[in-house]
Amino acid sequence: MKIVHKTVGTTLYVGLCGELDESTSVTTRAALDKLIEDFSATKFVVDMSALKFMDSTGIGVLLGRYKKLKAKGASLFIASPTPTVDKLLTLSGIYDIMPKIV
Amino acid sequence: MDNFMSLSIAAKSCNEAFARSVVAAFATPLNPTVDEINDIKTAVSEAVTNCIVHAYSKDESGIICIDARLDGNTIHIAISDKGVGIEDIIKARQPFYTTKGGDDERSGLGFTVMETFMDSLTVAPNGDKGVVVTMSKAINTEN
Repeated sequence: MKIVHKTVGTTLYVGLCGELDESTSVTTRAALDKLIEDFSATKFVVDMSALKFMDSTGIGVLLGRYKKLKAKGASLFIASPTPTVDKLLTLSGIYDIMPKIV
Repeated sequence: MDNFMSLSIAAKSCNEAFARSVVAAFATPLNPTVDEINDIKTAVSEAVTNCIVHAYSKDESGIICIDARLDGNTIHIAISDKGVGIEDIIKARQPFYTTKGGDDERSGLGFTVMETFMDSLTVAPNGDKGVVVTMSKAINTEN
């Protein structure tokens, strides 16, 4: 999993490139937590356009980050998931708490 | 199209991508769409993850068996382990149910995803130890 990021104003954009499953969840979780700690962004956008695969382990990773961001008063958004990942995210109902943006 | 395959892998998370790719490749003679292949890959990944995380509690000496069979336009997949088993299978299949709380950050959606992405799903004890998950998916013959 490759993770890239950039800050625009108070928004932190994070791009996930690769596959998110049990084998990549530990490093992905740690990398996202470090970004959450290092930046005082109020809006956290996870760009999933380059995320080729994700299973429900990824849902758990997202929910964990959502809780951390919420505790800091920041919000989490999902951007550009592939159709397969979007299907999983929709099934989970996760867009109710971390809306999808274009 | 009738065919079968059988695969045994160590219960290591690094084998997840390998397992789902093998089953996806095995299904290709049915001419599935990209969406259908991704459904199969996701369902296999969920089942293998369950074996690693729940059945063997990340004990990498565990063995996961993956059997797949093509029958006409349908792929049948069985993923089994010899781990701790599931105390209450009906409860385990409920959406968002998980026995792993706290720092594990489990969504409890594994069986729900398998059920949704495949046409059928059964979860049963694997003899006297472990669990066997069987699932099937018909591939659209108009592809």
